[in-house]
Amino acid sequence: MEDKIRRIYVPMTESGFYILFCLQKPQHGYGISQQVKKMTGGAVCISAGTMYGTLSKMEKDGLICFYREEDKRKLYQITELGREILSLEIKRIERLYQNSRGEDANE
Amino acid sequence: MSRTVIRFFTIADYEEEEIWLRKQHQSGWRIVKMIPPCIYVFEECEPEDMIYRLDYKNSGQTEEYMQMLKDFGWEYFTHCNGWLYFRKPADEAESEQDGELFSDNESRIALVSHVVKTRLVPLAVVFLCCVLPNFVRAATGTGSFTGGLRMLFSIFFSFMFVFYVFLIVYCGTKLRKIRAKYDNHGI
Repeated sequence: MEDKIRRIYVPMTESGFYILFCLQKPQHGYGISQQVKKMTGGAVCISAGTMYGTLSKMEKDGLICFYREEDKRKLYQITELGREILSLEIKRIERLYQNSRGEDANE
Repeated sequence: MSRTVIRFFTIADYEEEEIWLRKQHQSGWRIVKMIPPCIYVFEECEPEDMIYRLDYKNSGQTEEYMQMLKDFGWEYFTHCNGWLYFRKPADEAESEQDGELFSDNESRIALVSHVVKTRLVPLAVVFLCCVLPNFVRAATGTGSFTGGLRMLFSIFFSFMFVFYVFLIVYCGTKLRKIRAKYDNHGI
């Protein structure tokens, strides 16, 4: 994996994480925002401009790719590179969570 | 009934412009169109709390972008010099973020950087390559014009010089302030 991509995306923003996580299944921007709202009980709400900007950037960097078009809406899906980044992020967050609970993450 | 207002907002005043347009709508004036650089045409309407938001897209907007904004409940009504104007009734915004175009600081800062790169930097280039050399020529009297024409040339470039210096300093400082407001300095 390119070091540069890893440097940019690990760690990533909360919106970035949820967007990439949701794109393990093909989805469009508004669909992702609805799904994230549901997953977080409304605590994380991604606005339109942030959604569009993040999707464009992730597509340009090869983390996600165009899947198909549905009524002018572009559906995206995660790529292999995106999965690698996502699993790195998940590991990092798990370590963070374990340490925050006073558990030894190295065990 | 319609009303025309002249009001000048620079590239660094978009947050004030959003508030101003919202206040107009609250007092019963809905914006219909903008004529660059500073003419706003309003029509009378029922007073309503309408949230106004501006986004900046130098290279134009895509169909995907417009559809996404529409999905999120934003009504697009005009554009001006790369700025796109959107509005949404305040009671339709389910949360604070739902009433904004950008929900995190990273994307708010990205907007500032985009404005600096495609608007402020070109302004500085025009100043350095055109306004400043002509101003110096006019001030030192080394230009090729004589008499009245030279006078006119001097006045014009003196005015341009002051105008550009003001604009660059004002917008530069203001954009830095906006960026600082959203920058967590890596914490």
